[in-house]
Amino acid sequence: MSLAAEAFVSQIAAAEPWPENATLYQPLKEDQILLSDSASSLAVQTFLRMCGLPVLVSCRANAEYMSPSGKVPFIHVGNQVVSELGLIVQFTKAKGHSLSDWLDDVQRAEMKAYMELVNNMLLTAELYIQWCDDYTATEISRPRYSSPYSWPLNHILAYQKQWEVQRKMTAIGWSGKSLEQVYEDVSQCCQALSQRLGTQPYFFNKQPTELDALVFGHLFTILTTQLTNDELAEKVKSYTNLLSFCHRIEQAYFKEHDRESQSGSLHHSKGSLP
Amino acid sequence: MKNLLLCWGGDWDLPSVHTDSLIVLAYAKFSGAKLAVKSIDWTWRTITASVPQLHYEASTVTEPTQILNFLRKQRFNADYELTAKQGADTMAYIALLEEKLRPALLHTFWVDADNYANLTRPWFTSHSPFPLNFFVPGRQASLALSRILLTKAESPLLNITEVEGKIYSEAKECLNLLSHRLGNFHFFFGDTPTSLDAFVFGHIAPLIKAPLPSGQLQKHLNQLDNLCQFCNTILKNYFNASAEKRTDCSPTAIHDPVDANLQKLTQLVNKESNLIEKMDDNLRSSPQHRPNSTPPS
Repeated sequence: MSLAAEAFVSQIAAAEPWPENATLYQPLKEDQILLSDSASSLAVQTFLRMCGLPVLVSCRANAEYMSPSGKVPFIHVGNQVVSELGLIVQFTKAKGHSLSDWLDDVQRAEMKAYMELVNNMLLTAELYIQWCDDYTATEISRPRYSSPYSWPLNHILAYQKQWEVQRKMTAIGWSGKSLEQVYEDVSQCCQALSQRLGTQPYFFNKQPTELDALVFGHLFTILTTQLTNDELAEKVKSYTNLLSFCHRIEQAYFKEHDRESQSGSLHHSKGSLP
Repeated sequence: MKNLLLCWGGDWDLPSVHTDSLIVLAYAKFSGAKLAVKSIDWTWRTITASVPQLHYEASTVTEPTQILNFLRKQRFNADYELTAKQGADTMAYIALLEEKLRPALLHTFWVDADNYANLTRPWFTSHSPFPLNFFVPGRQASLALSRILLTKAESPLLNITEVEGKIYSEAKECLNLLSHRLGNFHFFFGDTPTSLDAFVFGHIAPLIKAPLPSGQLQKHLNQLDNLCQFCNTILKNYFNASAEKRTDCSPTAIHDPVDANLQKLTQLVNKESNLIEKMDDNLRSSPQHRPNSTPPS
């Protein structure tokens, strides 16, 4: 959105309170959704729960095409549609709910920096593993991505998506990396997160912020999704404070939905955390 | 055995005009690594080499992060005294720079028509041998454009002009965040520079020093005094550059005369308004207008 449009949307957003029928759209949970989209979706859901805002999760096969920016998940609130965690955080702030108002400038700078680290490293690594690693792409990503469609559309869409992601990887210089290097990057990122978290309950000690939601979304999804091998999950598991961080947030914000959502969650999920 | 670094040459008071090369050069100075620096200007390497490139014995390392890791393994470590948390912060801030600031930097130098035609292309053309000078700048420009579009332009923003607004506002926010984080300190982690300082320096130094015809980001950066000071301090202490001569950005040189002038003006205006008030009072208090009454001076 252009800057003027963003400001305009904020104005309109501020006018109405959060409705009861706000909906979050994501691709089909059982068959279609992939690791990276599932992580982003969980991050947004966690953020909204932390704010205490109710939202219904609706799974649609064409969620990606409904989204205003092409990325999932997106939320439909009142008569507005907002996608991506950054914009959703701004949108909820305009409605008067914010998790990070109490931070001072330096802390806010740190929070934004760490969110970029997660996006830059974890999300890019997830995309790389899904689409640039031939074995994973053939066994998991392409079949799942194209499952709602019939032949020949499923082939076309799957290859088109793969090609698009590979182009992006080339542009940012990740195409030359081997899978080992990507796992190493994930490990370094988790190490940085683990060191920042230390022994605190949340990244900024007393209360959760959108950074906690984002990190939880990604780590939890990595830990509970079955890929062709377990190496990614193993990298995350080696940091015990991150594991307990995920447990803590799961207990605090998802306990009543635990039974329902975990049993029917990702097709390849192993259920709740080990 | 010496390390040999290949990089783009320098100009505008900088050891190199290329961000990645600057990062490596700055880090080498901070950690005390001795590098033999060879610029690739006017050689055929402008088209074949991916700069910066470090040659050591038989091996070659590219990419700033890899080169820094390599130097650390050779025990040239500027991050030795950082705590674990500070090391994590370094990674996070570097990610912030890459995501938020680099697209705008690429745009300012390579995509903005004014800057590209008047500054970047002539510089790179004049620093490449014939006939490469026809290809090199164009190729860099198209790489920059494709990177911006692929990473920042999502479906409603298919046009580069719409993406511009977004990337510049993100870059300004990033600069503000860096300024907040730096505060009044000399370097990001206390009194000695570290790899984060090298990365920040590499990104903002070209932006401060290059004589850009149209530089809205440059103007924004010039308002952030502590970042300008940071850059000049590094240049002065580590590169022995003639940073004192170029006073475009040194805040004391510019702002003092401005402040002093502003103060004088304000005083004059205050005096004038006092005089006018007194005149007014006199005129009102006198029962008859005395046109010849002189105002008190």
